[in-house]
Amino acid sequence: MTELVNILAVGLLLGGIYALVSVGLNLIFGVIRIVNFAQGEFVMLGMYGAFAAQITLRLDPYVATVLVGPALFALGAFVYWVILRPLQGQPMMQVFATFGLLMILENTVLALTGGTAYSVNSGLTGYSVSFGPIQIGLPRVLVLTAATVVTLALGWYLKSTMHGKAIRAVAQDRNAARLMGVDVERIYMVSFGIGAALAGLAGCLLSPLYTMSPQIGMNFIMPAFAVVVLGGLGSVKGAYFGGLIVGLTEALAGFYLDPALKQAVLFLMFIIVLVVRPSGLFGTAGAEEVGLREQS
Amino acid sequence: MSNPDTSFRAPPDTPVAMPRVRSFVGELPLLAFVLAACAGLIVFFTGNSFAQNLLATTFLFAALSTSWNIIGGLGGQFSLGHSVFFAFGAYIAARMHLDLGLSPWLALLPAALVAAAFAMLVSWPVFRLRGPFFAIATMAMTEVVLALAMYFSSITGGAQGLSIPFKAGLHNMIFRDRMSYAILMLCFLAVTLIVMAAVTRSRLGYQLRAVHDNEDTAEAAGIDVLRTKLVGMGISAALTAMGGVFFLMYVRVVDPPSLFSLFDIGVKIALIALIGGIGTIYGPLLGALLVVPLEGMLRAELGGMMPGSNLIVLGFILVLTAMYLRKGIAGTGTDLFARIRGGR
Amino acid sequence: MTGFLEIRNASRHFGGLKAVDNVSFAVEKGEIVSLIGPNGAGKTTLFNLLTGQLAPTHGSVSFMGRDIGPLRPHQRARLGFGRTFQISKTLVSMSVLENAMIGAFLNDRALPDAARHAAAALERVGLAGVAGKRSGDLTLGERRRLEVARALAMQPHLLLLDEVMAGLNQTEVQEIIALVHQLNTEGVTLIVIEHNLKVVRAFSRRVLVLNRGQLLAEGTADAVLTDPAVVEAYIGGGASS
Repeated sequence: MTELVNILAVGLLLGGIYALVSVGLNLIFGVIRIVNFAQGEFVMLGMYGAFAAQITLRLDPYVATVLVGPALFALGAFVYWVILRPLQGQPMMQVFATFGLLMILENTVLALTGGTAYSVNSGLTGYSVSFGPIQIGLPRVLVLTAATVVTLALGWYLKSTMHGKAIRAVAQDRNAARLMGVDVERIYMVSFGIGAALAGLAGCLLSPLYTMSPQIGMNFIMPAFAVVVLGGLGSVKGAYFGGLIVGLTEALAGFYLDPALKQAVLFLMFIIVLVVRPSGLFGTAGAEEVGLREQS
Repeated sequence: MSNPDTSFRAPPDTPVAMPRVRSFVGELPLLAFVLAACAGLIVFFTGNSFAQNLLATTFLFAALSTSWNIIGGLGGQFSLGHSVFFAFGAYIAARMHLDLGLSPWLALLPAALVAAAFAMLVSWPVFRLRGPFFAIATMAMTEVVLALAMYFSSITGGAQGLSIPFKAGLHNMIFRDRMSYAILMLCFLAVTLIVMAAVTRSRLGYQLRAVHDNEDTAEAAGIDVLRTKLVGMGISAALTAMGGVFFLMYVRVVDPPSLFSLFDIGVKIALIALIGGIGTIYGPLLGALLVVPLEGMLRAELGGMMPGSNLIVLGFILVLTAMYLRKGIAGTGTDLFARIRGGR
Repeated sequence: MTGFLEIRNASRHFGGLKAVDNVSFAVEKGEIVSLIGPNGAGKTTLFNLLTGQLAPTHGSVSFMGRDIGPLRPHQRARLGFGRTFQISKTLVSMSVLENAMIGAFLNDRALPDAARHAAAALERVGLAGVAGKRSGDLTLGERRRLEVARALAMQPHLLLLDEVMAGLNQTEVQEIIALVHQLNTEGVTLIVIEHNLKVVRAFSRRVLVLNRGQLLAEGTADAVLTDPAVVEAYIGGGASS
């Protein structure tokens, strides 16, 4: 019994990581209808950002979020404006462009670091929290907490602030929003920036947990795709619960089948959901088909 | 009712000056010329084993990309998972060679058939998805099969991989000199180009393009969209698997991460087609002639100092192509030519 | 009765909206039937139910005495259904001739045969002169005629035209009317969605009026167009003639 509780706890914490990584991806998809293949690289940059802040400014990675988040917001906004804005209504070209960006970011970091594996220390690494019979490292708890807070905060922001309402209006019908005087391009740029900043935040919070490598983004992007597809394309809440589901699935498959097969099980499930219920658990039906066409 | 315009009453069989529709046979002279030019490159670089290596790789990737272009370009189904079929070919040939001592030449047909059957089976459900979602699903499929390949190490050799003993001879498809491999890959390229040309200049090719442009129109015109996609995918996967056989005998050491590599196989063959010209017959060859030597030279020049620099350049090419050269080199060239000739 | 084409109690719901609501009618071989109604009346949805682009929520469709409910659009095309789309769905990467060839490939295997039949179809709609153009470069009117040509190249028994006149000038409208009559004398049955009531009078003896998804009236053009309920629906829903 303790064993099962342990696995569930591991799964939930892993799910927290995936949820945090996926929220930004799904925001970008929901608003701009772009599938951003480079989202994992934004997480990777967040991790290296935390590392850079540590060696130059001796900042704790948790503190570094205040620098890394805005930096990635700026990068995201720049990427949107320069590369993706001209590709409106060309979904496949957007895929290729973000894939190219993925290659550029990953390999630039590889070229700069020469592939040396770095890690980051935090003052909080040593602490752990006990829940009944199980002990959990504080950094992992913080990730799950952060995922929950970010989901709630983003949900509140989209629902209650003027700017959030504008974002939702654009997500629903960009032409109507344009007619209402919303600056759609600016909303897209800001949304892409927020998505990138959330990835950067995730990177900082994950940096004490992982040994960094330039290729680590790929480890995040595929589960993140599974998360958004399971949870529902374009839904913030969906990314959160989708993350938890993916985390639990991976933990359970790893334990009951074989750790080597957990990826296979996860992606098989992913393909099945994609085919059987493409709108996911919280998404709008038909988004996978019509969502990416230029709205007319 | 008023008198209708006379042009409407013209009987259906009146001869009119219609643009010629190029047939497969009409495609052959250019095809022969292109292949001869490629052969000329091999002859020109006689004795230069670095160049012959580069040519062999270029022709292999041109052939793989041409195979991808049948479903990816003509049919518009942007698969990023073709490495799966590629790996199928390599593993089928490896098992037949290592366990049964059979020549890799004999593995070509089974590899093609098995890969085509597998491709059609898994594509069946996935073809419901469009655009980026189809691409993501094919990526996920790559991950599933990669995980399985690592797990079933008795077939694939697991993480250590497999190696084919060096026994030179045409029968074994193993050669001492690099030039023979360049010729081998050119022959494979010829096969894929002939198939691509035959498909393009056939009913199937037109129907694939119709499916690419608009599935509703295609269906209303009586095209079985799913069947058309499946046939296109089957042909494409079969050729890709043959490429896997040639690749295996060329490098003789394969492991799952390199065979299933998203960047080095799955995405690269799609990107070569994109750069050269999606859906065109010679686009993938043009793309490969540009990308593969460039990448090879970058890797040789900068690889030690700046690992990954070749992929940075590739990434930039990909972004810029997506932004400014959507139809690729061949597509843009054809447009320009038509514009100049048409005087428009 | 076993009509040529028969639709019984067909409904199609989108969420809470009943785009087509319990519609029944039959079309006899050799007829030209017009389908009119205000915008949003469900005309195109009804077309989609007939051609199989959409499955009905309830009801059935039969063709030559056979229930074709389970048949996909391409299977219905093989039975002899040809159609145009209201929002022109031209295959933009292809030339005009190639667009028409896509229709011709329904019956032809070889390229030259398809090209010949496609050329003949283009000739009939007056597009022979632009056969080599990219279809993306056509004007809106030309695109609509290309839609007709593609359907014609299929040599259909039943042709469904969805507002092919919209955006055409007077001469072009007259040309299409002549073409429709010509096709009809060749044995093609036609169902035509049309906004232009003059056109409706010109070629249709029987008119169906659809309003809010329901069949509001049915009869000769003159009877239907003077029906108070129809006039009310048109004025209430924004007249367009």
